[in-house]
Amino acid sequence: MKQTNVITLLLLVGLGFTALTLIQAFSQSYALPGNNIGYEPVQPIAYSHRLHAGELGIDCKFCHTGAEISRTAGIPSANVCMDCHRFVTAPFNQVRAEDEAAVKEQRKPRRIVSPELQKLYTALGLNAELQRDPKAKETRITWVRVHLLPDFAYFDHRAHVSASLDCQTCHGEVQTMERVRQVSDLTMGWCVNCHRSSNALGVKGKPVKASTDCVTCHY
Amino acid sequence: MSHATTERHAEKSRLMSDFHLNTAESSADHDTVASSFDRREFLRLAGFTFAGVALTGCEQARVEKAIPYLIKPEEITPGKAYWYASTCAGCNAGCGILVKNRDGRPIKIEGNPDHPISCGGLCAIGQAQLLGLYDSQRLANPMINGAPTDWQTLDQKLMDRLKEIRTGNKAVRLLSGSLTSPTALALVKRFLASFKDGKHVIYDPVSRSGILEAHERTHGIRVLPRYRFERADVIVGVEADFLGTWISPVEFTAAYRSGRTLEGDPPQCSYHVQIESRLSLTGGRADKRYAISPSDRVSLLKGLLSLLEGKTTRAKPGESSHMLFLNELADRLRSARGESLVVCGSNDVASQMLTNAINEVLGNYGKTLDVQSPSYQHQSNDKALEDLLADLRGEKIGALFIHGVNPVYDLPGGKEIGELLAGVPLVVSFAERIDETAHRAAFVCPEPHPLSSWSDTEAVAGVVSLTQPTIAPLENTRALTESLSAWLGKPSSVLGLIREEWRTTVFSRQTMEKNFQSFWNQSVHDGFAVVAARQHRKGAFDSRSARNVVSTAAQGERFELVLYPKVSMGDGRHAHNAWLQEVPDPITKVTWDNYAIISDVAANNLRLASGDIIRLTVADADPAVTLEVPVWIQPGQPDSVVSVALGYGRKGTERFAKIGPQWLEGKPSVGPDGLVGVNAAPALQLLDGQLLYERQGVRIEKTGRQQALACTQTYQSIDTPPLLAQGTEARRPLIRYATLAAYAANPSAGSGPEHKSQSMWPEQHEYKGARWGMIVDLNACTGCAACVVSCQAENNIPVVGKDEVLRNRELHWIRIDRYFVDHDGDLDVAHQPMMCQHCDNAPCETVCPVLATVHSEEGLNQQVYNRCVGTRYCANNCPYKIRRFNWFDYAHDDAKQNMVLNPDVTVRSRGIMEKCSLCVQRILEQKIEAKKNGKAVADGAIKTACQQSCPAQAIVFGDMNDPASLVKKKMADRRSFNILAELETRPSVGYMTMVRNRSEQTGETSHG
Amino acid sequence: MADGISLLRSPLILGNKTAAQVTEDVCTPLDRGPGIAWWFAIAVSLSMFTLGVLAVIYQLFTGIGTWGLNNTVGWAFDITNFVFWIGIGHAGTLISAILFLFRQRWRTSVNRSAEAMTIFAVICAGIFPIIHMGRPWLAFWVIPYPNFRGPLWINFRSPLVWDMFAIGTYFTISLVFWYVGLIPDFATLRDRAVSKVKKTLYGFFSFGWDGSTKTWQRYETVYLLLAGLATPLVVSVHTIVSWDFATSVIPGWHTTIFPPYFVAGAVFSGFAMVLTLMIIARSVLHFEEYITLHHIESMSKIIIATGGIVAMAYMTELFVSFYSGNEYERFAFVNRMLGPYAWAYWIMVSCNVVTPQFLWFRKIRRNVALVFILSILINVGMWFERFVIITISLTRDYLPASWDNYAPTLVELATLIGSFGLFFTLFLILARFLPMIAIGEVKGVLSYGRKGIHVAGEEAGGTKSIKTPVQLGSGVQGGTP
Repeated sequence: MKQTNVITLLLLVGLGFTALTLIQAFSQSYALPGNNIGYEPVQPIAYSHRLHAGELGIDCKFCHTGAEISRTAGIPSANVCMDCHRFVTAPFNQVRAEDEAAVKEQRKPRRIVSPELQKLYTALGLNAELQRDPKAKETRITWVRVHLLPDFAYFDHRAHVSASLDCQTCHGEVQTMERVRQVSDLTMGWCVNCHRSSNALGVKGKPVKASTDCVTCHY
Repeated sequence: MSHATTERHAEKSRLMSDFHLNTAESSADHDTVASSFDRREFLRLAGFTFAGVALTGCEQARVEKAIPYLIKPEEITPGKAYWYASTCAGCNAGCGILVKNRDGRPIKIEGNPDHPISCGGLCAIGQAQLLGLYDSQRLANPMINGAPTDWQTLDQKLMDRLKEIRTGNKAVRLLSGSLTSPTALALVKRFLASFKDGKHVIYDPVSRSGILEAHERTHGIRVLPRYRFERADVIVGVEADFLGTWISPVEFTAAYRSGRTLEGDPPQCSYHVQIESRLSLTGGRADKRYAISPSDRVSLLKGLLSLLEGKTTRAKPGESSHMLFLNELADRLRSARGESLVVCGSNDVASQMLTNAINEVLGNYGKTLDVQSPSYQHQSNDKALEDLLADLRGEKIGALFIHGVNPVYDLPGGKEIGELLAGVPLVVSFAERIDETAHRAAFVCPEPHPLSSWSDTEAVAGVVSLTQPTIAPLENTRALTESLSAWLGKPSSVLGLIREEWRTTVFSRQTMEKNFQSFWNQSVHDGFAVVAARQHRKGAFDSRSARNVVSTAAQGERFELVLYPKVSMGDGRHAHNAWLQEVPDPITKVTWDNYAIISDVAANNLRLASGDIIRLTVADADPAVTLEVPVWIQPGQPDSVVSVALGYGRKGTERFAKIGPQWLEGKPSVGPDGLVGVNAAPALQLLDGQLLYERQGVRIEKTGRQQALACTQTYQSIDTPPLLAQGTEARRPLIRYATLAAYAANPSAGSGPEHKSQSMWPEQHEYKGARWGMIVDLNACTGCAACVVSCQAENNIPVVGKDEVLRNRELHWIRIDRYFVDHDGDLDVAHQPMMCQHCDNAPCETVCPVLATVHSEEGLNQQVYNRCVGTRYCANNCPYKIRRFNWFDYAHDDAKQNMVLNPDVTVRSRGIMEKCSLCVQRILEQKIEAKKNGKAVADGAIKTACQQSCPAQAIVFGDMNDPASLVKKKMADRRSFNILAELETRPSVGYMTMVRNRSEQTGETSHG
Repeated sequence: MADGISLLRSPLILGNKTAAQVTEDVCTPLDRGPGIAWWFAIAVSLSMFTLGVLAVIYQLFTGIGTWGLNNTVGWAFDITNFVFWIGIGHAGTLISAILFLFRQRWRTSVNRSAEAMTIFAVICAGIFPIIHMGRPWLAFWVIPYPNFRGPLWINFRSPLVWDMFAIGTYFTISLVFWYVGLIPDFATLRDRAVSKVKKTLYGFFSFGWDGSTKTWQRYETVYLLLAGLATPLVVSVHTIVSWDFATSVIPGWHTTIFPPYFVAGAVFSGFAMVLTLMIIARSVLHFEEYITLHHIESMSKIIIATGGIVAMAYMTELFVSFYSGNEYERFAFVNRMLGPYAWAYWIMVSCNVVTPQFLWFRKIRRNVALVFILSILINVGMWFERFVIITISLTRDYLPASWDNYAPTLVELATLIGSFGLFFTLFLILARFLPMIAIGEVKGVLSYGRKGIHVAGEEAGGTKSIKTPVQLGSGVQGGTP
């Protein structure tokens, strides 16, 4: 009698343990809809934020001009890229190498165009001299959206930028990312908690009013 | 939301891509269309996916593409709204508008506050123009004999034909509605001049020709006077629905309102008498309303005239009430010489001549109505129309150009006209869609929608407005002026033509700007320019003219038929607009149909109930005309008169057969003939130079058939039914009313002592920041329903269709409650816009199990769509019944039409509750902008959609915590009150007592 | 009847049954293959049920719009049915719990089916609050659970949340209570069963019951405790349901007497339903000797009593509305009596106030056919009571402009029919596989009103369970006298 009881007990404990471990394992892969944390889609052009924002230290708002004046930070239009890439067509080392080679061979250096930038030029319908080629057709560059909120949640960049919030607070250390990845889970709880703490602690020591009303995001 | 379109809707995206290219490579426009789908899809599927998650553990994320501009226009930032000043083309009034443009597409139209005509208001029709822009039925290409073609070939072919006509010296006629565009008029003149016999024939389906004709005879000048209601202390409207449909309602409403502000001491309020043969929106507002049948009108005017001229002696006491009324009226008018205004809405020249005589006797000319710098809003000439028809019969016409009118539909004997057109060698139509007339035209040269093309307007002398395109054309269309210039052999762009016209004729009439370009820029920016009016010389008043007017007599016991334009439908040119079809008529509250209005007495005699279909036979017409329309029983209707609205039964309204949800018991929104309503135009009469809207000797027979009329209000009176009123107050204190006398004596008359009662609610709401509130002045509101459509446009409120309205499931966030109130014999119509009252102690908030509706820190009652599970408990527990439920998935799949959606407001899915949010998206926009600039939100910076478009400025919104704010002041006014205050719901929406200019001391106070 | 056995009393069970006979009578219908009557009944109720299922599926995929509701009337058939079914359930709990505590021994032959009825009724009721939602697939949002929304909790002020808890508890307790009551009978069935399957199944459910005194004693204790637990639920559940309306601001809903009013009404309708079912059962399954006229009579008496309370409540309502001087309140009730839905009101009054009065007459009480008809009338009446309270109050509240009428659609009617279908289907299935009468308890009252009986019992489940009525339910150790 006793013995059986003990056995049952052990069995039960064992069962419970396995169950727990399983749940543990399961919960790793568990994500609610809208929570795409870690989402890192491949983009049509392998644009590197690490290079531009990190190494070259270009300010986010230089390209994402909407952040201060519009709901959406916006994805820069091709003409913004061309501000620099009219001149910069390939990594410096390659260009330098070509120049040296040219000097050796006493010839005019050839223009080197990196394959990724070539995509940009084709999109704009530019020819080899980076002039608008009347025959070429302009094509849209369709980026894949990384940070995506459900359609019933409204986020306004103006409010957050004007509260002197760093882009990194939500988007993570983008300047270190080769390809942009979603680092925050962007769930409601995540938003609300930040609003609460900002109300309590302020942003960068500056007191702010981050409303936690429903209509702040849902309308 | 603004930068995405989905794979899932690739199909639609492709469909959209042509708009996409059109709209200056802005991707955002087509994204919001697409993502409006996602939004809907998502909300519907959300629950399922949740469930799915529970089972599967993880789910595939939605992949959205973001397509930026290739080369971004300097001035555009995606996601930011831009405003363009323009001019409304909904009717001829020429109101100024501001078009809100978001990512390359207009999403809202609002009144232009600086515009001298409309002063910031905009009517329902004007608001609904937005939906018309995205109408998929608009012609995409020019047509030749019903086959789409391109402009080159069309011009080619057409000019060949014109050459023949020129050589053959055939008569050429351009038939159009009133053209207020100087450029267009000039070109038409030039074009017709290029023919030997070219004439421009103008008529309006709702004709004002009588007024012009009368002035020609009495004052020797064929103009439509400009009426100045704001200058009149005594206003007499004879059949003139000037607040609803007559000439320029928005302008007149603002003017009328300015005379009745109740400010000053004694409170300033004009005296308004309405003499009419059907209860019109204007009549409902009148201080004294006098119902007559059309046949009495002339004799009544004659009587009044002779009284004013002192020809007849005053009535002794004990004389007929009719005479007493006339005497009193005459006294009132005499006391306000030069400050009174008598307007007549009938198109009957005789009546108009009498009206002119009366105004002349009162010395109103040059004061309250102006014929020197008149209005051009109507230039119709029924005589010329009659001649044209004669010529058509005589097959004298070589070419007929038809612009802006639809004779086959909107003229009597339209069928015959249709056949006559077949006899015309060349018929060219400029219709935007294949309508009744256009499909008889060999050439159809569609005009662009006014929101997508240039145009100009001089609606009243001296005010020239500009219309500028706010979106790249969605169809391959061409403006009238452009076409004409092409056919004149010197093709030019419409913009070029307008600039040229302005340089020559407009610029010269102003002195502000020295160089044209800066004048032009200023005008484009403002949307209008005020310049010197062309002076029209009026001749001496010919007193004899009005004398020899013979008054008509009613024909026996038969009915008189009155055909009238409906507030939301006008002459029917917008009958394809679902928003307008679903606007409840301000008086009857019926949507989706026209009907025969009769009095309850007549109904009893004929044993008719509302909804019975009757056959109206106009005996004296040949061939005899019959209309089969459902009956609507209406208080205030003379017993001998039956009224039917024009503008229904349009070809093309078949589209509404499937507009509502399709389900087991669902019914179509169209009548048995597949159209919405019945065309009453055949019952019109074109008789010796007058288009008559009144017919005598009309027979009514019962057909025995029935047709349900979708009325949004099942109970009409403010008094509870006598049977049920036992032991209770029959009249509920919802509309507070006082006479001017009572109000002058005691400003809180009517609104009464505030109801004190015990509250079981804890004092929990204290507002540190703003506290938003709204107040509606019942004394200003005319019930014109502009706010309803404005709200619909702003908040993505779908159209639900007739059947759903019949089931009382309309989705409008503003419900204008209309009560008939009998104030000692005067039938008053009280309009009470009801939107969410945003109660402090909101009954809805306590009962929602999932906290989908909660109170905000700024006093808003928030409705969170994505949290709502749809128990409808909140709606049940709302004493104001202003909550709206999505019984079905109402959103529509018409990709083009969905471009109208406001990207800042969620498209609600099936099964969730919604309601007025006080335009919270606008509040947030202003707050964020203010925060950005480190300032506080200025009072008046936030205007809700309803407030913005209200022509009478009856609605004020603002921060009630700001002691300086206007809303706060109004709340403090002693006329203000809350509805059902005794429930202690503490609404943030207040109302102001309705005051009528009457002498007796009555004022209905709160009960108890 | 607190005082033991009186010789003057007529026996509860007729026909001088022995324990063995009891077992036989109750169990033979189960061994016997289903009769033609049963097949017919199940066919009918199943098709009703299917109809309902189809209606609900259609509604779920098309939208709540397929119901006749509108902006003014947000609840009608759905919540009416919900309250109605919850009400039906109450008789079961009352009989099994309260009558048990009051030592009403006649309950023994009806409690089994009454309790079953409770469970089925609650099942029927529970469906409506879910399908009446606009987005039923999110119904789980009314349950408080940790979430990623901030977290976002539920509104504990909302009566709908209270409902969720109340009904949940009610269902669980009723189910356990009913099951515990079944255990000894499962044992009996197990011992009688011939087929292996049945043996194992019944065996499993009988929880390894050996009729030992100790088992009985524990059983008695548990049963008593559960009865104690269930008793407050009789009152609480319908009280809370009534708060759905009482806490609102709508005239006709906002009424403080609702809790007692609703509870009384519930018991009233519940007993009517028990009668309906019992009268059918006793004739179909030949239980005339177990469910005697005495039973029918005593239930009728309860109906008179509760019916009286209901009538009283109606009058109080009217008086209060008049006395309050609140015009909206007054109007609401005048409107009930004379308004467009007066017919519903008067059906309600005639069925719930007039009908029970017939039961004052012994002749009628003992006339099974008549009682049957009356019981059905009462059920109709009670359904209308809920309709009157819920729907009519909504149709005309404060602003005349928003008044509107309500008419059910086919889908709604089908759903109502379906809920009855479900109810009867479940009941018929029960009748096939479980003893409709609590064998164990009935045996306990065999001796009631009979002198010195000697019941020779062989079979397991029964024999040891025979005790003197005094001991039954008293929790005292049992044993043969």
